[in-house]
Amino acid sequence: MIKVTEVSKDYKTGETTVHALKKVSMAVEKGEFIAIAGPSGSGKTTLLNLIGCLDKATSGEIYVDGEPVSGKDRKTLALLRRNRLGFVFQSFNLIPVLTAAENVSFALSLLGIEGKELKERTWGILAEVGLEGLEDRLPGELSGGQQQRVAVARALIKKPDLVLADEPTANLDSDTGRGLLELMAELNRKHGTTFIFSTHDPMVMDFAERLVLLHDGQVAKNGRVKQ
Amino acid sequence: MKFLIALAWKNLSRYKRRTAITVAALAVGICFYIWIDGWLYGAELESERNLIWYETAAAKIMNEEYWEDIETFPLKHVVADPAALEAGLEAAGIAHTRRTVFAGELFFAGGAKPVKMVALNPATDGSVYRLDRSVSAGSFLDGTGSGVLLGEWLARDLGIEVGDPVVVRTRTRYGAFQTLDLEVAGIINSPNPVLNKGTGFVSLESIEESMEMEGSVSELALYFPDWQQPEDRLARIEPLLAGYPELKLLSWRDLAEDYLMFAKMKQSGSGIYLLLVFIIAAVGITNTMLMAVYERVREIGMMRALGMKRSHIRLAFMLEAGGIGFLGSVLGLVLGGIITFLMVRYGIDFSKMIGEMDIGYRISGIFYSAWHPAAFVGGFICGILASMVISLIPASRALKKGITDCLRYE
Repeated sequence: MIKVTEVSKDYKTGETTVHALKKVSMAVEKGEFIAIAGPSGSGKTTLLNLIGCLDKATSGEIYVDGEPVSGKDRKTLALLRRNRLGFVFQSFNLIPVLTAAENVSFALSLLGIEGKELKERTWGILAEVGLEGLEDRLPGELSGGQQQRVAVARALIKKPDLVLADEPTANLDSDTGRGLLELMAELNRKHGTTFIFSTHDPMVMDFAERLVLLHDGQVAKNGRVKQ
Repeated sequence: MKFLIALAWKNLSRYKRRTAITVAALAVGICFYIWIDGWLYGAELESERNLIWYETAAAKIMNEEYWEDIETFPLKHVVADPAALEAGLEAAGIAHTRRTVFAGELFFAGGAKPVKMVALNPATDGSVYRLDRSVSAGSFLDGTGSGVLLGEWLARDLGIEVGDPVVVRTRTRYGAFQTLDLEVAGIINSPNPVLNKGTGFVSLESIEESMEMEGSVSELALYFPDWQQPEDRLARIEPLLAGYPELKLLSWRDLAEDYLMFAKMKQSGSGIYLLLVFIIAAVGITNTMLMAVYERVREIGMMRALGMKRSHIRLAFMLEAGGIGFLGSVLGLVLGGIITFLMVRYGIDFSKMIGEMDIGYRISGIFYSAWHPAAFVGGFICGILASMVISLIPASRALKKGITDCLRYE
């Protein structure tokens, strides 16, 4: 489904060039539940951003269903993200003036879905992530865990092929984080949605089926962690 | 689109105080514009009425050479046989009156002032002008004797009262010096300050011989109710002059060319106030939207990550600014409407402040506003459009950032 081939990413900060990723290669199959782990600054977020077509690699190539993404223009990439990818961010990134339901339905309305279907799917996914009855709450009226569940629902409502979650539990306490991961794992099993999430928390790594360990921008380990 | 409108509307309540301040600033600007525009418009309408009723009439027929040199009132170029034209005007149902206007110098008790003397027919003058309704002391001319009406400011300057004898030195139709011994019959206090300032009125009969007019007059003044659109009416009067190549038909617009030029200049002044509204909108909205955009950079990054089009994000900010523009415009219209209502009803009395100063408008005293729907529509549309257009600047700046830069933004 996703193939990353010798991808490098450099950032320039003033006179200095930071090599965030150095010739990273990996493949992701449909339905996998993968953790990209590594210490801070190892390149986890950079790799997720590149796979999510949010940024462009300095060299190397990323293939989505065999199609290279490097030559695609901004609009095509936006369309790819809108239709096939879901994102969960560390700091939730919910729109504070919209209710939980509105935050979730926003992702679906981008696909032009409106009316009854929009409402049914929104209410359905919120119930699935355990937020039944909280649909009309504003993000500020929800706990951190509940907010991240809204973000997961927002990522999943459009039934994407791949969900990219950048340190989804980093702002949550361990119990809430565990609950969120269990939810994500369940949704992965139930819908066959592919999940890639980054983390530096060993507890989170235990939830993954496969672990890609990054160190200094390079893949240090890539293998299954549980059956 | 529905989502974008809902988001824009909800975002307005996000920073209530900031939104309220921007809305208030815009409202004050639009209110100010409506107030000034209504005021100028009211002054224009009243000036036009006062021009027609006291100065230019709706149109005049005069000798072309008299018109060309009208500053000196050359009586040698006259309407020699007004009676012949009057029959045609009568048949066409056009109200008309004879007048002869000439220059003179008024002497009283050692003081003297240049005056514009107007000889009129007291019996028919009221069908064209409203001078007879502006006598503040004494009485209107009765057509006989040597009575003179003087403008109030002129009389005050020279210390003249009703019943005082005055002398006017002038030249006859053929250029000979002549003095007219007159007695002040009344004082004119007209809404048109030009009349109050330096004009004297006598009857045509009283100057007929002394000015050697021989039945001629300097002009035939005409009135028709549709004077605001005089073209059709003038086209129907024009054939009456067919046998008189020396005569010219002039509409009030020709006669008041100087005033109209001045009014146009004032109108462009009203445009400057609209520009002021635009600047207020520019400063207020740019500031508000700039802060809104920078506080929401990560949100913009999230929206773009989810695949939202840049044009839609831009539109979301435009709609939000449009919302501010809408609220500011509506509030500005309401406030402007209230002020205009009070100004239409009560006006502001500037007579003490202006005194005898010439401010260009043919108004002396209370200035009233007039309802000018175009200003309301223009102010409303301008308030909204300007806000929307201006919001493009900060929105476009934020959209230049990369998605990952937006998501990382602190």
